[in-house]
Amino acid sequence: MATVDKNHPMATTTHVSSARRTLDWRVVRRHLGQVLLHALLVAGCLGTLLPFMWMIFGSFTSSTEIVRIPPTFFPEAPSLENYRVILNDPHVPLGRFYLNSIIVAVSVVLLTLFTSSLAGFIFAKYEFFGKNSVFGFILATMMIPFQVLMVPSYLMLAKLKLIDSLWGLIVPAAIDAFGIFMMKQFIEGLPSELMDAGRIDGASEFGIYWRIILPQLGPALATLGILTFMFRWNNYLWPLIVITTNERRTLPIMLTWYSTVHSQRLDLTMTVSVMVVVPVLIVYTAFQRWIVQGFALSGFK
Amino acid sequence: MGVLARRTGKRRSGVFAGQRRFVLGVTIPTIIYSGGLSLLSIAWAFALMFFEYSPGHTGGPLLGLGGNNPFVGLAHFRNMIEGTTLESRLFRTSLNNTLIFAFGVLPLNLGLTLPLAALIESVPGRIKNAFRAIYFLPVVTSSVGVALMWGHLYHPQEGLLNAVIRRFGGSPIFWLSDPRLKFLGVSVAMWAVIMAYLWQDYGYNMVIFVAALQGIPKELREAAMIDGANAWQVFRRVTVPLLRPTLLFVCVMTMLSSFQVFDIIQVMTNGEPRNQTRVLVLDIYVNAFRYQRMGWAAAASFVLLLVVVVVTVVQMRLLRTEWEY
Repeated sequence: MATVDKNHPMATTTHVSSARRTLDWRVVRRHLGQVLLHALLVAGCLGTLLPFMWMIFGSFTSSTEIVRIPPTFFPEAPSLENYRVILNDPHVPLGRFYLNSIIVAVSVVLLTLFTSSLAGFIFAKYEFFGKNSVFGFILATMMIPFQVLMVPSYLMLAKLKLIDSLWGLIVPAAIDAFGIFMMKQFIEGLPSELMDAGRIDGASEFGIYWRIILPQLGPALATLGILTFMFRWNNYLWPLIVITTNERRTLPIMLTWYSTVHSQRLDLTMTVSVMVVVPVLIVYTAFQRWIVQGFALSGFK
Repeated sequence: MGVLARRTGKRRSGVFAGQRRFVLGVTIPTIIYSGGLSLLSIAWAFALMFFEYSPGHTGGPLLGLGGNNPFVGLAHFRNMIEGTTLESRLFRTSLNNTLIFAFGVLPLNLGLTLPLAALIESVPGRIKNAFRAIYFLPVVTSSVGVALMWGHLYHPQEGLLNAVIRRFGGSPIFWLSDPRLKFLGVSVAMWAVIMAYLWQDYGYNMVIFVAALQGIPKELREAAMIDGANAWQVFRRVTVPLLRPTLLFVCVMTMLSSFQVFDIIQVMTNGEPRNQTRVLVLDIYVNAFRYQRMGWAAAASFVLLLVVVVVTVVQMRLLRTEWEY
């Protein structure tokens, strides 16, 4: 007997034919519908994964094979030669670039988690004069497109002599209005009795934040942290503007620079792309549920 | 604020003083920082656009304005509207391309993500998460990586698309570099870039729609089906109207993002061929940081802000939410 999913939008009936000899076309149609549905989704997955596969296979293709016409999808003589070339290239200190990206991303994450949770705590649990206006002001700063701010921000950094330094990437990002908003929403859901208990026990206000509230924020911090990390890791325009010397480049900029220098060597370009893109994919696969949830939540302001 | 506050209302010292110090200690730096960065930047940009400014020139005392960075008033804007200089023509082309890009992306994006989200939502449990995870993969990928991947796909000799075309006997197409090719009046290079951007971005809207669809009570759909509606009618008459707030959000965010697109275009085509893919942000970037004409760039960024605000307000008017359930 077929299992019937009553909630399926294509369910047209809840009855199964009682006469076992005749074929119930409604059941068949429903099953066909399911199969078609799954086939479409799988096709969509393949389409989504195609460019990734093309890139990965390209990185294993030798330089002679990649210029062959017609090009092959699966490399006939897969080799790690490209990887060896890039890892041994003295002009491409990959470790340095990874380090730069990690330093920037991790610093910004730590800073924004701290400032967002602290400010979110204030806005969630304290009342004071002008609170709503201040919060509204901070939210409004979130709405301004970055392209309007980028020229003056650059000039400001120039005055502070932070151009061409990783600090120039970290310092402007220390406060994240979206992070404050998200933390406020989350902390509002925590019981206020916790704070009173802390005060009775003689904790300072900051102590309440540090010892009572912060430990409760695990999931929210994780989500915000991962979102921020991904954004900072992949950030392109601002580092492009700020960083000018090669050693301080972050990975995305390095990738562009490399692909321009080696525009004739698609195999090498694909290899570097793999090295930049795949670590993020691995992190993504590990934390996938947090990440997708975080993005979906950010849609429900 | 808790029990303690009510009972000890008369005591102004101790707990309250500590609280006040804490609150001030956090909010004041926060305001200064956000205000400093954002307000100051906006004010500076607003001033810059009335000047001809280059960071290399020595200017007047206030922020380097004046002196060799002369005040030009509305000259930039007049140039943008009716000027014939190269940069004004490039500006108009960029604005045009940005509008084409944004209005091309929105319907294609919605037409892809909404049905896809509906399909995914109807799949049970575990598999749904797997599908969602795969479809979302391009969103977390670096735009540079995406641009290079698709550049490789579109490559005239080594690319997959042309390989398929050759297999079927056609001659290879120069997707990203032939300025003569047009489809429906829009340059093919622009379509190619739109496709790459859609591929990277559609997972985002799809995930939001899936979450929204899950929030619609099943009883409503079932009630409609009991009343005799088929799946398509249920979708059109029940689901879509209830999605209105989400639709509004998605439309606004999608347009906002497509007005600000930069990374993928700069790496894939850098505005070529013949400025057919040159968008406004690219124009601003080139003027500000290659030609060092920051007054002009600030003016162009202000125009971008205006366009964004106008389009957002119009969308909010059109998609006003009237439904509650």
